[in-house]
Amino acid sequence: MFAFIYLAKMRILTLLTYRFEVFVAVGSNIIMMFATVFLWKSAYIGIDTVEGLKEQQMVTYSILSVLLSTILSCNVQNIINERVRDGQVAVDLFKPISIFVCYLADDVGRVISSLLNKAFPLLIIGIVFFGVPYPRTTIVFFAFIASCGLSFAISWLLSALVGMMAFWVMELGNMGRVKDAIVGALSGRLVPLWFFPTSFITVSKYLPFQYIYQTPLGMYIGKMSLNEALTAMMIQGIWIIVLLSVCALVWNAAKKRVLTQGG
Amino acid sequence: MSSNVKYHLSVSSCFARMAIQRQLEYPSFLVSWLLMIPIQYFAGILMLKVIVEKFQALNGWTFPQLAFVYGLGLLSHGLMVVLFIQSWNIGGMVRHGEFDRMLLRPANVFFQFAVMHINFIGLIDLIPGVIIFLYGCDLAGFHLGPINIIKLLLVVVGGALIRGAFFIITGSIAFWTKSSESLVGFSLNLMQRSAMYPLSIYPYIIQMVLTFIIPFGFICFYPACDFLGQNDRIMLPLDFVGWTPLVGGAMFVLANKLFNMGLKNYESSGS
Repeated sequence: MFAFIYLAKMRILTLLTYRFEVFVAVGSNIIMMFATVFLWKSAYIGIDTVEGLKEQQMVTYSILSVLLSTILSCNVQNIINERVRDGQVAVDLFKPISIFVCYLADDVGRVISSLLNKAFPLLIIGIVFFGVPYPRTTIVFFAFIASCGLSFAISWLLSALVGMMAFWVMELGNMGRVKDAIVGALSGRLVPLWFFPTSFITVSKYLPFQYIYQTPLGMYIGKMSLNEALTAMMIQGIWIIVLLSVCALVWNAAKKRVLTQGG
Repeated sequence: MSSNVKYHLSVSSCFARMAIQRQLEYPSFLVSWLLMIPIQYFAGILMLKVIVEKFQALNGWTFPQLAFVYGLGLLSHGLMVVLFIQSWNIGGMVRHGEFDRMLLRPANVFFQFAVMHINFIGLIDLIPGVIIFLYGCDLAGFHLGPINIIKLLLVVVGGALIRGAFFIITGSIAFWTKSSESLVGFSLNLMQRSAMYPLSIYPYIIQMVLTFIIPFGFICFYPACDFLGQNDRIMLPLDFVGWTPLVGGAMFVLANKLFNMGLKNYESSGS
């Protein structure tokens, strides 16, 4: 546990030193936030509710979606790829703790620093320009926080799974970005799936992606009742168990393929 | 004069051949781009379709017109990615001292820089671009006659120049600061959101900024207004199709000047 906290702390400190990068990343996310909010605002001109959702709810959804996306960027796929490519993974395997604990600690550090230096300033800007994005009720707020934690787990496991492909192909290329594109399209990050055709909604219920963004955000804006929210969190839990098992299986196979290259 | 042109052409084609060989070295990159880019852009246009169908036309822009703008924007984006992607890495080149080699060669550095990397993988961006654009033309009833095709070519080339020049300008900052790569993602987001969606959905002040200060409105929003007869926008004299190559040329000249100024400041760090 000490090792975990130490690794996470080191990552936070490294990330906090790149001030210019943070500044630009926040700017980039401000553009995404403004563009999405204005898109919804022009869609809602003269319309009160669509699918039971009002304009203010969609504005809140968009702002929080941007905040969540700054937190959920998992680097594990890139780390595994780099480590496998230059053979460093062999060194990591000698460490007295599991390499996944190392990589998880690194990403948790990333989440905490993103919360401080990206999500927080973005929230302030969102409040200044579009008002406070209130949750439906106080209980919902805590459910939202818990659900975001589960979202992070799903997102991290997916990322680790893609990363482990590197053991077979040696150079992943941009497979991580392919996964990110799929998540971006199917998770309801920009446009929630409630607006999509029914067949689309049915299929996506059986995929893990919508449980990354749409589940916590839908809770927050009050699209789900408390019971529905609890059920949704249970489904998130089931996905975590499924992905964990798949990861364990893949890792057992991958361990036999560790090939040390580089010097 | 003609031998001069011939010389520059032969240098460019030699660079292009090397670039293609370099890029074929890692097929996994090719495969992942081939998957990612179409997914990303087809998902983008699908989302617009969903919004328009569930809600309404966005500030008077119907789905066919939105598809037209989105596709047109993607065409100039694709062309920029093919021609100017090296400008995303000026920071790295400054830090590794890669301009040393170019400075020693008997040719203009900006020319060498401009032709050093023909990114043929960028053609992948043009695949969804062409499909979405033709789909938009078809839906919007836009006739692709010879005059319109010439106009479109001017707009796509002009749009690619505006985009490329902007990346060279932001990249050249690295001559002073040694690093500017993080601006690439920022610029890409800004360009995508201001060029591929109608500017008129944004507040007036943002429209003014994107017209007169950072002229991304000219990449394809204003020409598309012209092609489709949309009038809900800031009015300017002259038709907009003419403005795009003009603005593009002017920005490119500016980018060239700034690049050369930066190069004087180049310290040849690295080894």
